[in-house]
Amino acid sequence: MPEPASASIELSGVSLSYGAHRVLDGLALRVDRGMIYALLGGNGAGKSTTLSVLLGFAKPDAGAVRVAGLDPVAKADAARQRIAYLPENVALYEHLTAIENADYLLALSGEPKPREAIVGAFGAAGLQERAWDQQLGGFSKGMRQKVAIAVALLREVPVLLLDEPTSGLDPRATADFNGLLAAVRERGTAVLMVTHDLMSAVDVADRIGFIDAGRIVDEVAAEGAERFDLRALHDRFANDVAAA
Amino acid sequence: MRIWMHELRLLLRARLALVALALLGTLSIAAVVAGSAEVDRQRDAIAVIAEPQESDIAAIAAWVDKSKDAGSAAYYSFHPTWDAPSPLAFAAIGMRDVAPFILRVRALGLEAQIYDGDIFNPELALPGRFDFAFLLVFLAPLFVIALFHDLVSGEREAGREPMLCALPGARRLWLRRVALRFAMLFLVLALPFTIAAIHSGAGAGAILLILAAAAAYLLFWIALALLVGRLGWSSVANAATLASCWLVLTLVLPTLAHVTINRAIPVGQGTEIALAQREKVNSAWEIPREETMRRFYATHPEWADSPPLGPEFHYKWYLAFHQVGDESVAGQVRAYRAGLERRDAAARTLGWVLPPVGLQALLTRLAETDLEAQLAYQDRIRDFHRHLREFYYGYLFTDRPFGQEDFARAPRFASP
Amino acid sequence: MSPTLLIARDELRLMRRNRVAVIAFVLLVLLTLTAAVTAWSHQQGIADLRQRHQTAADSAFDAQPNRHPHRVVHYGTFIFRPLGPLAAFDPGVDAFTGNSMFLEGHRQNTANFGDVRQSSLLIRFGQLTPAFVLQAVAPLLLIFLGYGAIARERERGTLRPLMLQGASRGQIVAGKLGGLGLVALLAGLPAMLGFVLIAGQPGAQVEPMAVIALGYGVYLALWAVLILLVSALVKRSRDALLALLALWAVLVVLLPRIAPDMAGAAVPLDNRLQTDIAVARDLRTMGGSHNPDDPHFARFKQAVLERYGVGRIEDLPVNYKGLLGMEGERLTSELFNRYAAESYDAQERQNGTVRAIGVLSPAMALRAMSMAAAGTDFAGHRRFLEQAEAYRYDLIQRLNRLQANAVIYADDTAQDPDADRRKRVAADYWQAMPDFTFRQPDGLTLAAAALPSLGVLILWLIAAGGGLLFATRRLGAR
Repeated sequence: MPEPASASIELSGVSLSYGAHRVLDGLALRVDRGMIYALLGGNGAGKSTTLSVLLGFAKPDAGAVRVAGLDPVAKADAARQRIAYLPENVALYEHLTAIENADYLLALSGEPKPREAIVGAFGAAGLQERAWDQQLGGFSKGMRQKVAIAVALLREVPVLLLDEPTSGLDPRATADFNGLLAAVRERGTAVLMVTHDLMSAVDVADRIGFIDAGRIVDEVAAEGAERFDLRALHDRFANDVAAA
Repeated sequence: MRIWMHELRLLLRARLALVALALLGTLSIAAVVAGSAEVDRQRDAIAVIAEPQESDIAAIAAWVDKSKDAGSAAYYSFHPTWDAPSPLAFAAIGMRDVAPFILRVRALGLEAQIYDGDIFNPELALPGRFDFAFLLVFLAPLFVIALFHDLVSGEREAGREPMLCALPGARRLWLRRVALRFAMLFLVLALPFTIAAIHSGAGAGAILLILAAAAAYLLFWIALALLVGRLGWSSVANAATLASCWLVLTLVLPTLAHVTINRAIPVGQGTEIALAQREKVNSAWEIPREETMRRFYATHPEWADSPPLGPEFHYKWYLAFHQVGDESVAGQVRAYRAGLERRDAAARTLGWVLPPVGLQALLTRLAETDLEAQLAYQDRIRDFHRHLREFYYGYLFTDRPFGQEDFARAPRFASP
Repeated sequence: MSPTLLIARDELRLMRRNRVAVIAFVLLVLLTLTAAVTAWSHQQGIADLRQRHQTAADSAFDAQPNRHPHRVVHYGTFIFRPLGPLAAFDPGVDAFTGNSMFLEGHRQNTANFGDVRQSSLLIRFGQLTPAFVLQAVAPLLLIFLGYGAIARERERGTLRPLMLQGASRGQIVAGKLGGLGLVALLAGLPAMLGFVLIAGQPGAQVEPMAVIALGYGVYLALWAVLILLVSALVKRSRDALLALLALWAVLVVLLPRIAPDMAGAAVPLDNRLQTDIAVARDLRTMGGSHNPDDPHFARFKQAVLERYGVGRIEDLPVNYKGLLGMEGERLTSELFNRYAAESYDAQERQNGTVRAIGVLSPAMALRAMSMAAAGTDFAGHRRFLEQAEAYRYDLIQRLNRLQANAVIYADDTAQDPDADRRKRVAADYWQAMPDFTFRQPDGLTLAAAALPSLGVLILWLIAAGGGLLFATRRLGAR
C-alpha cells in the first residue's frame, strides 16, 4: 500500500434531491491516490448519481465535493482534465480504428499523443496488436474497455471513474480487467468503481463501501493477504440493505 | 488544428454526411450551371437583336423613303428595348423567365404595348427555375436537417454521450462539430456560386452580402435543428419534426400568404387599363380632330404652333390621339403599379418573419430580377418611348420630310 | 379476425397514439380544406372578373357608333379566357399565361396580364390548391406515419416474434399496407370534398373528374407502397425516414425543376422579336396590297375583274377595298398561323421532353395528368389561343366583307368633307357580330389526354408493388 496522500476523491455530507425524491443523503466517501474504491449498492441506491456528482453533471444541494482537489461543478473543465470516465458500455466510434479512436479522444481532451505512445499504451492495456488498426465495429466490450483504459493511461489522469466495468464480461475478461486495474493503481491513480458485482470488488478493491438510500451504510478495508472475508462481507451487505 | 482534422475525418467517414455533402456539391454546381445557361441564353438573344432589326428597319426605310412621310416611319418602325441580365441574375432568375427582357415598341400608344409578354412555355415556368436561389432556399435546409438532426441524439443513441460529456471541453466539442458541419455545408454551397459570380463580374459587395445571407439562412436552420435537438427526442423524431418545419416554412406558409396578400391587396387588373386606353384612342375618330389637337397642345405646348390640320389624314393627329389616350389612363397606370408594389412590399415584410421568403426577396433584389427590376425596366422603356415620340414629332409637327438617312437618327435604347 | 386485419388495426392504433402524427394529420386535413375553399373562391373570383370584363368588352364593341368597318378592324375586341370548373382543383398554368387578349386586324397579339406578373414573389413558392396539397404534402405525411412500419419492428426485434406468432410475412406487410392505405384514403378525402363543390358547378364533366380521382388514388397508393418498400429494405427506421425524405425531395421538388431546364435547353424557342421580324420579312416578300405593281395583288385584281366580268375596279358591284382587305388578312393570318404553329409545336416538344423525364417521377406524371384532365395544361391554353385566332380571323373577315358589301367604293376613296359620313355603316352591324365563346373540350377528350400520364403512374405502382413483394419474401431473413 502506498502511503495515504492527499485524497483524490472526497465527498462529505453530499445531499441531492430530484424534486421530493432524495437521491443522495449526506454521502461521504474518500478515495486516496493509488487506491481502488468499490462502491456497491442495489438499483436506485445512488451509485450513478454519485458518479454524476463527481463528473459535475449534477450539482449537490448540500455538502462538499472535491475531485483532485477541485470542485467538479465550479471548475468543470479543470476537473474533467483530471478524470477519466468509463461508462458501463464503452461506446466508441465504430467506423474509426482503435488507434484512430484513441487519437481522437486524446485530441478531444486536449492532450494529443504520438502513435508510438498510443501503441505503447495499447500494449500496457493488453490489447492485441492485430486489433490496433481495426475498425471498432467488431470489438467486444472488453476490447473497447482496453482502448478506453489505454487513453486514460496516456492522459495520466489522477482519477479514474468506472461504471459497472465488469458487467457483461466473461470470467476471463473480468480477470484481465482486474489485472489492468491493479496496474493502474500502481501508477498512483485513484480509482472509483461503481458496481453491484461483489466478487469483482473483492478481487481488486482496497476498500469497499456499501451505499443505500443515498449514503454509505458500511465500509470495509482490505486487510492482509486474504484481503476480504467474502462470507462475512456478503452477510454484512445483506444485513445493511435489510436494515435500511 | 489537429482536432479539427479529427472531426473532419469523423464527419466524412459517416456515409450519410459524405453522401449529403457530395450531393449538395453536385446540385450546387448544377444550379449555377443551369442558371448561367439561362442567363447566357438571354444575353445571346439580346446580342443578336441588332442584325435582324437593322434589316427590318432598312426595308421599312426603303419603302418610306418614297413618300418621306415621318408618320409612316413612326407607324411602321418598331424599336427594340432590352433588359440585360445583371451579373448576379444567374443566381436568382426571379421573374426573368416570365417577364419579357426584350420588347419592341413604336411611337404609338405605349399602354397598349408595354404589358405585352414574350413567348414562353407556361408549363416550363410553372414549377420554377432550378437556380442557386432555389437550391439555397428550398434544398439547403434539407441538407442542414440531414447533417444536424442527430448531432447530439446520434451520440446519445450510440451510447457515447456520457463519455463525451465527461471529457474536458465537452461544450467546445459540440460547438466545434456545429461549426465544422456549417463550414462544410457553406463551403459546398458557396464555392460554385462565388466562382461563377466573380467570373460574371458581380460586385464584391453584392457577393459578400449574398454569402452573408446564405450563411445566416443556414444558421437559422441550424439553430432550429439545435433547438429541436434540445428537446431530447430520438434522431427519428428530430428528423420528422424538422422536415415538418421545413414543409411549413418553405411551402405551406408562403402559399397561404400568397392567397392572403392577393386577396387583401386587390390590384385593379391591368386589363382595365388596356380597355380604357383603347376606348380613349378609338373615340378620337368620333370627335372633331381639332378637339383632340387642342387637348394635345394643352399638355404639349411646344408643338402648338404646328400648322392646322387639312382635310386629309395626317399622322400628327393619329399620334396625338394615341398620346392623349395614354395620358388619359395615367391615373389608372399609377394605381396599378402602386398595387403591384404594395403586394411586393407585403411579401417582403413577410420575409422578416419567414426566412425562406426573406432570402428569396433579397436574392432577387441583388440579382435585379424582382418586380422592382421589372418596373425599372418599364420605366426605361417609358423614358425611351418619350424620346421616340419627341423624335418623330420633330418631323411630323413641322412637316419635315423623313428620308432614308433619318432612320439612323432615331433614338436608340441604351441599356444602363 | 385475420392476422392482416389485426396488424392493420395495431398499426392504426399506434398512429393514433402518436401525438405528432395526429397533429400532422389534422393539419393536413385543415390545409386541404383551406386549399379547397380558397382555390374554389379564387377560381370563382377570377371567373366572375373575367366574365365581367368580357361583358364590358362585348357591350363596348356593340355600343360602337356608326363607323367605317375598317375602323372596327382596328378597334378590335378583347376576349378573356374562361376557367373550366376543374381549375379550382388544379389551376395548372392559368396564373402563368396571360388571360386576356386584344384581337385586331393584321396582328396577332400576345395573351397578357397573367397573375404571375401581377403577384408578389410568393407565387413562385407554389400555389395552395387541393392538387398541390395532394401532390406534395400528403406523401410527406404518409412518410412520417409509415416510415417505421416495418423498420421499427425489425429494429426493436419484434418482427421475428410477430412471425413466430403465426403471422406470415405477406400478412404482416398487407396489414401494414392496409393501415397506411386507410390513412392515405382519409388524407385524400378532404380534397374529394372540394370535388363535390366542383361537381355542382355548371359544365362539370364526369370523365376528367373520374380520371383525376383515379390518378390521385393511384399516386397515394404508390407512396404507401414505396414507404413500405423502403421500410422493409433498410435496417434502421432512421435510415428509412432519411431515405424516404430524400426520395420525396428528389421526386417532388428537384426533378420537376430540373426537367424544364433540360427541356428548354433541348428545344430552343424563338422569341417574339425574332418571330415578328420574320413575319414582317415574309410579308414583304409576299408583296403588299398597297403596292399597285405587286405581282400577287395584280393577279388577284385580274381574277376579281374576270370573276365579275368587268374591266375596272370602279365597275365592280362590290367595294374592291373590302376584297383587298380580305385577301390581305388571309395572307397575313396564314403567315401568323404558320409561325404560331411552329412555336406551339416547339413548346409541345419541350413538354414532351418534360413528360419523358417525368417517367422518372410519379409526382411529375401526376401533375401532367392532373393538368391535362383539368384542361389547365399547355394544350388547354393552346386550345384557347387557337380558338381566339379562329374567332379573330372570322371577325375581321366579316368586317372586311361588310366593307366590300356595305361601303361603296367611290365613297371609300372619296376625300371630300362629307366622305367620312358616307363611309360609315350603321351601328346595328356591330351587335350582329358574334361574341367570342370558348368551347371547352368534351370530357372524353380531356380524360383521354390524361391517360398516358395515368399509365406512367400505374406502371410505377406495379413496379413498386413488385418490389414490395420481393422485399416481403426476404423479410426477417437477416
